[in-house]
Amino acid sequence: MSTTEHDHSTTTRLSLNLDGTDRTADVDPRSLLVEALRDDFGVTAPKIGCATGDCGACTSRVDGQITKTCLRLAVSAEGSQIVTTQGLAEDGELDVVQQAFWDEQAFQCGFCLSGMIFAASELLAENPDPSEQDIRWAISGNLCRCTGYEAIVAAVRTAAARQREIPQRG
Amino acid sequence: MIAQPFVYHAPTSVAEAIEILAENPGTSRVIGGGTWVVPECNRDESRPAALVDLRRAGLSGIDVVDGVVCVGATATYSAVMSSPDVARHLPLLAAMASGITGGRQIQSQGTVGGSVVAARPSSDAPAAVAALDATLVVAGPDGERRVTGTGMFADASTSCLREGEILTRLEFTVRPAARWGYYKLKRSASSWPIATAACVLGEQPRLVLGGVSATPVHVDLGSVLAGRPLTPDTIEEAVRRAADSVSTPWEDELAPATYRSAVAGPVARRALEMAAHQEES
Amino acid sequence: MSHGTAPRVSEARPLAGSSVRRHDGDAYVSGRIGYTDDLSLPGTAHVVLVRSDVPHARITVDVRDASTRPGVLTVATGRSLAGEYGPIPNAMDPVPTGGQPLEIHVLPVDKVVYVGQPVAAVVAESLAQALAAAADVKVHYEPLPHVMDPEAALAADAPLLYESWGSNVMLSGTVGSGDVEAAAARSAGVIHGTLRTGRGAPAPLEPRAYCADWDARTRRLTWYGTTQAPHPLRHTIAEFLGLRERDVRVVAPPVGGSFGFKNFGHPEEYLVCVLAVALARPVQWTEDRASTLRYGARDSRLAYTASYDDDGRVTSVACDMVANHGAASATGAFGMAFAGSLAMPSGYQVPDFRCDYRVVVTNKGPWSPLRPFGKEAGVLLMETVMDAVARRTGLDPLEVRRRNWVKADQFPYVTTTGLELDSGDYEGLLDKALTVLDYAAFREEQARARGQGRYLGLGVGFEVLPEGADIPGALIGASDISTVRMSPSGDVTVLTGVTSPGNGNDTAIMQIVADRLGVAMDSVSIVQGDTDICPFGFGNVSSRGILTGGGSAALAADDVAAKLRQVAASMLHVDDAERLVLRDGFVSVDGDLEQALPIAVVAHALYTVGYIVAPDVEPTLESTRTFRMRNIRHHADDDGKIMPFSTFSNGIYLSVVEVDIDTGVVDILRHVMVHDCGVMINPRFVTGQFTGGVVNGIGAALTEEVLHDPDGRQLSTGFKTFLLPRASDVPAFEIQHQVTPSPFTPLGTKGAGEGGVACTMASLLNAVNDALSPLGASITELPAVPHRVLAAIGGGQR
Repeated sequence: MSTTEHDHSTTTRLSLNLDGTDRTADVDPRSLLVEALRDDFGVTAPKIGCATGDCGACTSRVDGQITKTCLRLAVSAEGSQIVTTQGLAEDGELDVVQQAFWDEQAFQCGFCLSGMIFAASELLAENPDPSEQDIRWAISGNLCRCTGYEAIVAAVRTAAARQREIPQRG
Repeated sequence: MIAQPFVYHAPTSVAEAIEILAENPGTSRVIGGGTWVVPECNRDESRPAALVDLRRAGLSGIDVVDGVVCVGATATYSAVMSSPDVARHLPLLAAMASGITGGRQIQSQGTVGGSVVAARPSSDAPAAVAALDATLVVAGPDGERRVTGTGMFADASTSCLREGEILTRLEFTVRPAARWGYYKLKRSASSWPIATAACVLGEQPRLVLGGVSATPVHVDLGSVLAGRPLTPDTIEEAVRRAADSVSTPWEDELAPATYRSAVAGPVARRALEMAAHQEES
Repeated sequence: MSHGTAPRVSEARPLAGSSVRRHDGDAYVSGRIGYTDDLSLPGTAHVVLVRSDVPHARITVDVRDASTRPGVLTVATGRSLAGEYGPIPNAMDPVPTGGQPLEIHVLPVDKVVYVGQPVAAVVAESLAQALAAAADVKVHYEPLPHVMDPEAALAADAPLLYESWGSNVMLSGTVGSGDVEAAAARSAGVIHGTLRTGRGAPAPLEPRAYCADWDARTRRLTWYGTTQAPHPLRHTIAEFLGLRERDVRVVAPPVGGSFGFKNFGHPEEYLVCVLAVALARPVQWTEDRASTLRYGARDSRLAYTASYDDDGRVTSVACDMVANHGAASATGAFGMAFAGSLAMPSGYQVPDFRCDYRVVVTNKGPWSPLRPFGKEAGVLLMETVMDAVARRTGLDPLEVRRRNWVKADQFPYVTTTGLELDSGDYEGLLDKALTVLDYAAFREEQARARGQGRYLGLGVGFEVLPEGADIPGALIGASDISTVRMSPSGDVTVLTGVTSPGNGNDTAIMQIVADRLGVAMDSVSIVQGDTDICPFGFGNVSSRGILTGGGSAALAADDVAAKLRQVAASMLHVDDAERLVLRDGFVSVDGDLEQALPIAVVAHALYTVGYIVAPDVEPTLESTRTFRMRNIRHHADDDGKIMPFSTFSNGIYLSVVEVDIDTGVVDILRHVMVHDCGVMINPRFVTGQFTGGVVNGIGAALTEEVLHDPDGRQLSTGFKTFLLPRASDVPAFEIQHQVTPSPFTPLGTKGAGEGGVACTMASLLNAVNDALSPLGASITELPAVPHRVLAAIGGGQR
């Protein structure tokens, strides 16, 4: 991609593979990626809690890497493959981290979930048996104002234990 | 939503990037990882007419060429952490990268090069890069130039880059393995570094303090550590010199100048003690 | 059917009391919950607010250029709206208690009183257009002197924020009884001290978002937004717009955290209504993080004198509280100073007590309600006094507390501020905590560590939290209405006036109802947060979701259960309906499944063949109930005291910290928590409230502080400058519960939503001071940020 010219009234076309589906939308080139996902693609799982990359609520997986999408310009994501928590469930079945978060009551208001779930997933992909300290560090890019983190740590531990028991999914 | 319109560029080469900057003199901002410039624009604190995003400019690699470790300007902290070359030759850089604020996402979005160019006083990278005696390779309309030592940082939030230039890579000469230490003091996990100390005790020992001043402070070690073992006495002397070297302490929302001045010595001590406890490798 | 033993219903294994998971948790974890900002009504116009750059000034606003920008629909200012709209209604009014009248407009008419205060609202087709046009609104400021410090604001020549008041004191008062001076004079010793709390902020992860939609054809307004209190908000919106209450519908989608911030009384709640009416289309405003952080709390100074006898008994406490409210607001936040004063004696027997409080306005952003609604002031005060008495008398801090506590056999106990503590066993809390933490072993470890140059400290924090408030004259009450209805197919719907800020109270209410009707959880659904559908309620304030919403739902479910028994008795030809058991989806005679009918069959029968099977039974399976708290009293006693709270949860914490004396950094090593909030419907949800409160308390004690520069600009505008604790900052908590039921509530429950914050602030303050005691140093100001701790030690002075 090269240059995108625009003025106040123009939009630019953005194509993504979003939660497994090729999608295209017209976006204001001034949009942050999280704004485009929410407002132009209608995928509202990523939230805007700070728009400064501190809270993690906008986290999605972009081209394989968990990303605070408020720190990306939408136009910079042209052609990217993006997964949100809405796209994590396979055939409507929650993934192991999502399931553990539900079972362990690892959220209250739920606004932090995108960041917490993706950070936990990435940790477990690298480290199937993380220590308490590993878990706390892995989720430390995300803020939660409700739970005190205790139940989130428990959920990651539970997800890790369950993941070790079951064969890896495709 | 960024309030003011801008033109987005994602050049696919350094030459193209330089060209775009030349076409937008004084009105462009360069994006490395985006973790600083994007929110700054979003807060309307910066109103560039052009945003030049280096993500497609081919600068994200980490290689060893002719005894020099080259860390591309857009190499992320994660890339630094997972690079075997960095682990082998620049363990201090990997330690710095693994401790940055913002968690796993920022590690894979933020770039060491971007942090160096941003040159913010309360930042992890500058002091570590200075302690490792890096060379910044800068490209501009007049070609390439190289900057070392105290020339890398001009002032708070001002690097050595001139109008129309971009950082293309950081170079670190491979030297014999040496003891090193790194200590970061912060208020809590949410906090920027308040004070950092990075030391590399090779043939020419270097101790650099970050966070305590507008730019990294190179502690004048004289002959205190050169060729001499780390003993309680030599550490004490180095710590004294470190504490005395902060002439104009930095101050911001997170810590007053008196505090930064007071912790310079203890932070230096911890980096040196880390080095002292390291096995000879 | 069966052979051998007759089939019976299961043993009673109530859902209430078990940690059932959230009924809608799958929707949460898969990102399918729609918060306010996730909604998008067709044709929505977007609001961007232009904000003041200065702390105090007369203003004139020129919107001509901005109004002509592309996509702009209107640009409103305080002056343009003042002709048509008066001030917004106050959630609480200081005037009846002798305070000043508050007149908060949707946008300020003449002057601004803090940096960041909205001065104009730009409405455009798109957010981008509104943002671009906002840059063209020209505000002319005629600066006035500003004042940020409340002591300075009390000076005779201080600039006045609200000239008609004649001073900067919004409200002042005195609580307590007895003669503190006389008591101090006859006591063995007297302690003087001052405590300061920095400015905190609620900072929920979800900023506020409001959307109003005016239907010009039906002349009806629908309001969607981040609110804790849909019905009270509907009342005030109707009052403000001059509409009938029935012509306003307030819908509260799930909120992303509240902590008091999203109770009602924010100007923007009403601003979007005004704009929607003007434009006859949906108008949406979502705030940014900096705006959220402009609402603060605490920021108080407590100067105290306490007296004690040689046996460690506290004989009197006198406190002078100056609270920096920042700018005035309509949210009733000022009540935190009053609530904090009332709560001050905590769970201690203080024979003579007085607190004089003053709520002072300054040119900071306004106070917001913030859990635990000011009560941390009393907890900090009393826990500081207890430790000081211990030092003076040489008694152990734990022993001093034991000697001063209200004893388990003294309840209900009336404090010197007139609160009637319902029930408790405070010594039991401590005993439980000491089963987790070996106190003697810690003291040995502490001594060893000191020998090695390490500074460990242990601190105690004890809290008693008045909750379930009912404020006379305000739309903040301790009674919420719930409806329980069963459909012909046996589906149960609960409609309730309490809302959930995400704590799971909806699931817990479903547990209560499912138990009482003998049906499975998945037969029950619940509707909250819609004034067109739900019965009246005060939302979620003052920790009352289960107390009032759960209690009233239990009563309503019991009514429906009684009706089912009546119908089934007729169908099963049983004379005594009381013999019928509702369990496992069946109505059975004495639990015998061979004499049983599915509950759905009974329900269906009442609706369809009622004249045959139950001709004498009123044909409805629906009940709407509420109840009065038996212990609330609004008629003042001879001393003028009232009893506005219904329950008093309590807890004790033991914190162990290590202070790095070279850097002042405090590390929490252990945090032992024991809580008593009476009967727990869902222990895991309750635990979640407390662990969340603890981390709020850790933030308030160690990291979170909103700072301003001398020019009145707020320096803490985001999460890089207002430091919330992260997972790696906090240890694993050691949690215990004690259950002392409330004798006054239907289910024996007490409030659980505010616990942990105050206790943690106190236990950490005391732990840091315990660690610093060998250095002869102490801190008296929170948060105990490293530079404050180092300064206390004498570092940073070289």
